[in-house]
Amino acid sequence: MRRGVAAALVASAGALGCTGAAAQVTDAQRQKAAPCAACHGAEGRAPLADTPSLAAQPKQFITTQLVMFREGNRKSEVMNALAAPLSNADINELGGYFAAQASPLPDGPPLPADAAAAGRALADRLLCSQCHGAELKGQQHIPRLAGQRADYLRNQLLGFKAQTRFDMDGNMTAAAQALTPADIEILATYLGSLH
Amino acid sequence: MNRSTTTRLGVLAFGLVLAGAAAAQTPAPAPAPAPAPAWQQGRSGDQATSTLHPFAPILTGRAASELPLDKLKVPSGFKVEVWAEGIPEARSLTLGDKGTVFVSNRNLKDVYAITEQGGKRSVTKVLRGLNSPNGVAFANGTLFVAERHRITAYDGIEDKLASPPEPRVVIDNLDPTSQPGHFWKFLAMGPDGKLYFNVGAPGNIVMPSYAQATINRVDPKTGVMEIYASGVRNSVGFDWDPRTKDLWFTNHARDWVNDDLPHDTLHRAAKKGMNFGYPFCHQGDFLDPEYGKGRSCSEFEAPAAKLGAHIAPNGMRFYTGSMFPAEYRNNIFIAMHGSWNRSTKQGYSVMRAVVDSAGKVELSPFLEGFLSDAKADPPMWGRPNDLLVMKDGALLVADDYNGIVYRVSYAR
Repeated sequence: MRRGVAAALVASAGALGCTGAAAQVTDAQRQKAAPCAACHGAEGRAPLADTPSLAAQPKQFITTQLVMFREGNRKSEVMNALAAPLSNADINELGGYFAAQASPLPDGPPLPADAAAAGRALADRLLCSQCHGAELKGQQHIPRLAGQRADYLRNQLLGFKAQTRFDMDGNMTAAAQALTPADIEILATYLGSLH
Repeated sequence: MNRSTTTRLGVLAFGLVLAGAAAAQTPAPAPAPAPAPAWQQGRSGDQATSTLHPFAPILTGRAASELPLDKLKVPSGFKVEVWAEGIPEARSLTLGDKGTVFVSNRNLKDVYAITEQGGKRSVTKVLRGLNSPNGVAFANGTLFVAERHRITAYDGIEDKLASPPEPRVVIDNLDPTSQPGHFWKFLAMGPDGKLYFNVGAPGNIVMPSYAQATINRVDPKTGVMEIYASGVRNSVGFDWDPRTKDLWFTNHARDWVNDDLPHDTLHRAAKKGMNFGYPFCHQGDFLDPEYGKGRSCSEFEAPAAKLGAHIAPNGMRFYTGSMFPAEYRNNIFIAMHGSWNRSTKQGYSVMRAVVDSAGKVELSPFLEGFLSDAKADPPMWGRPNDLLVMKDGALLVADDYNGIVYRVSYAR
């Protein structure tokens, strides 16, 4: 059933000719994305602490966040400044560029089996896949979690729990309320280890 | 965000005042746990694993060239075309005296103007930095904008689109509780010269305060407001019958009962003071499973029509133009923005409602084709949200998912 939803999503995106993972990356896109590379990595795999990988994120997630940075809803000194001059067309192009990059490699060494099992159980209990998709690869305006940097995920979850992280619809703020710091650690490490 | 900043500043100030005064300081209080988001409120236990969810608009807009426009369908003799693009989250429409079309949005902060000069149409952002400016209305040279918390007026704006005047506040403090859910406001100028707007329910199915789940009106000359209709869960579309001057409005019924109940509705409010049932009774004959206990639907005004469960009727307009065939005159067009809270989706269309002399409403499709796969996620590639009858009689349709305005015309 969940796989069905994901498959349908891919099918409908294809039918509409949307730029998805299979889209071609143009030189103009690469050039526009160059300022992002310093922190997010040339191919969207972030080498920097507490910085998200953008590779293979859904295009609508990237564009939504860039709009929210530009409009000042989501706060980050660096990102607010970088997003300020971007037009909607620029943002669409950047979203398409990073969405088309190969998915990030798992963050860190493979997890011991018990840590992986604990992470999977927690992710199941919290119904993460309900919004983030069957394989936690994101959909529409909702981010991919699989392979994201664990330190970034940890800080976002802590921010949601503290109700300080910008949240367009309140979903993650509500979802994070029941998490303990230990839960957050288990989840962040587990999600980062997925491919 | 603002709240957390304030809290942090407050804690900092508190710490400074007490610094050095006492050894044992009270730790900063943790914020109260955040509740479930408004759209999830009212789910039953077995609905907690549901994959149904509202759809977010593409906030940068999509170019018309990316869209499967050939899928759009109108009745024989009618034509639909893209009229303007590049208006992210094009939400509500209003027409200026001099022909400017103003377009609002809900998740963004702007108002756009679409103007035509020498046959060339252009789209310009004219207002910025607003707080969910969902409602726009125009009268006597003035543009009125309903933000989350206030209604403002921009006098003579059509003559100074490049440098609009400062806003004049008509009424403020419309959202004193920062209510969750349904905080965006539709705005329309009534035939009585008063501005009408909704205050939605602060959740899916909750007991509203007396000022919530209402349609209100405010006199723009005095700023005095009054409740016009109550028991209205959330109405983001209304218009007046050009013959009788009666107010008609669309209403979203509650979610999370089931796929087919309750219906969203079309209503007529011929006078002030009517109650339309929320949260006790929905669709005129369905008592709420929780709040309906011990109540009767006969206490409340019945709807003029049931429109379909979860179909999300938003903008509605009486057809007052002369371009369409005569039988369309005074029909109601309704933009169906949904559905999301339904396993098989319906809507994503513009419907035509014909009201006969006995008040019976007959519905038929008018503009269809946005729904691509009723079982897919997302099921649609576009979402009609508001409508506008132009001076030449053409009908504009705002699509907030893509940031596009379409024009439906008729060739004799």
